[in-house]
Amino acid sequence: MNTTAVLLEIAVRFGAISLFAIGGVNALLPEIHRVVVDVEGWMDSAQFAELFALAQLAPGPNAMVIALIGWQVAGVAGAFVATLAICGPSSIACYVALWWWDRLQGSPIRVRVQRALAPIAIGLIFASGYTVARAADRSIGAIALTLLATAALAFTKVNPIWVLAVAAALGAFGLA
Amino acid sequence: MATDPAPSGAEPAATPAQSTLAQQTRPALFLAFLKMGLLGFGGVLPWARRVLVDERGWMTDREFAELIGMCQIMPGPNVVNLSVIIGARAQGPLGALLALTGILFFPVCVLLIIAVSYATVSHDPTVRSAFAAASAAAAGLILGTALRLLMHTRPAARGLCTGAAAFVMIGVLQWPLLWVLPALIAVALALEWRAAR
Repeated sequence: MNTTAVLLEIAVRFGAISLFAIGGVNALLPEIHRVVVDVEGWMDSAQFAELFALAQLAPGPNAMVIALIGWQVAGVAGAFVATLAICGPSSIACYVALWWWDRLQGSPIRVRVQRALAPIAIGLIFASGYTVARAADRSIGAIALTLLATAALAFTKVNPIWVLAVAAALGAFGLA
Repeated sequence: MATDPAPSGAEPAATPAQSTLAQQTRPALFLAFLKMGLLGFGGVLPWARRVLVDERGWMTDREFAELIGMCQIMPGPNVVNLSVIIGARAQGPLGALLALTGILFFPVCVLLIIAVSYATVSHDPTVRSAFAAASAAAAGLILGTALRLLMHTRPAARGLCTGAAAFVMIGVLQWPLLWVLPALIAVALALEWRAAR
C-alpha cells in the first residue's frame, strides 16, 4: 500500500473506534488490538504491548497509545492522522450532544441526570486507578507509593508533579 | 484572574461554573488546556481537576464530577470530551477547537520524542525502576482524585451504591463496559426519579 492509502486506512479504522469508545479508549484496547494486529497486521502482539507501555510514560490522555500506533505504521504523519481520527468523530458527537444538553438548562430533568451520573463517574475513576495500580504495584514499596500518592492528592493541595518526581527518584535509587 | 468582573449582558440563569467560564478569553482557555496536557503524566484527570477547580476556579468539585459523568457516557477519550465541552461553553466552536489543540499538542510531541529515543534508554535498569515507581504513584494520583471528588460531592446513599457498583464491576470484575454502563445508568436514573417523587 502507498502512504496515502495507509493513512486513509488509519483514519477510517480509528475514526470508527472513536464513535464506540464509551468510557474511554482504554476500555476498547481489546478491540483496537484485534484491528491493529489481527485484521490489519500492522504489528505483532508483543509490539502492541510495548507501545502501550510506552504510551504510559508520556503526558496526556490515555488515548495517546493511538498516536504511537499511527507512528509505528506510518511515521509522524501516521501519528497525527491517528490522533485526529480517534478524537475527531467523538468530539463532534460530543459538541452536538452539548448543544442539546444546554437547551435543558435549568430543567429538573438535567439536574437529576447529572446527580445520577456523577457517582458512577467517580466509581469509574476509582476503577481506572485500581487498574493502573494492579499493573504497577508489584512490590510492597510500590503499593506504599500508591497509597501515599492517594493520600497526598486527596488530603493535601500538593502539586502532583512533585509526587511523581519524588516517586521516580525513590525508584531510581532502588528504594521502591 | 478568574474573578475578573463579568462583562454586562452575560447570559442569565447560568450556573456558577458557566458564568465564570464564559468570561474566559481564548488565550486563557488555550493555556489552561496546554498546561493540563503538558503536565498530565499518568493521566490528565488529576491535572484537569486541579487546574479547573483549584487553580482557575472555573468550576466546583461537584460541577467537575457532573461534567466528567457526562463525558463518560459519550464516546471518545473522556478528557478530550471534557476539553470540547469546556471550550465550547467558554468560546463556542473555536473554543472547543482551541481546548482540544491545547490538550493534545504537547502529549503528541513528547510521545514521539519518547518513542524515538526509547531504544537508547529502555535497557537501563535505573530508568526502568524510576518509571516503575512513577507509575505506582500515578495510580495513586488517580485514586486520590476519585477520593477527593467523593468527599466533595457527598452523594446520597443511592449514589454511593451505583458508584460502588461501577467500581466493582468495571475495576475489580472487569466486566465489559459496553454492557455494564448502560445498565448502571438506567438503574441510577430510576433511583433518582423515584427519590424525586
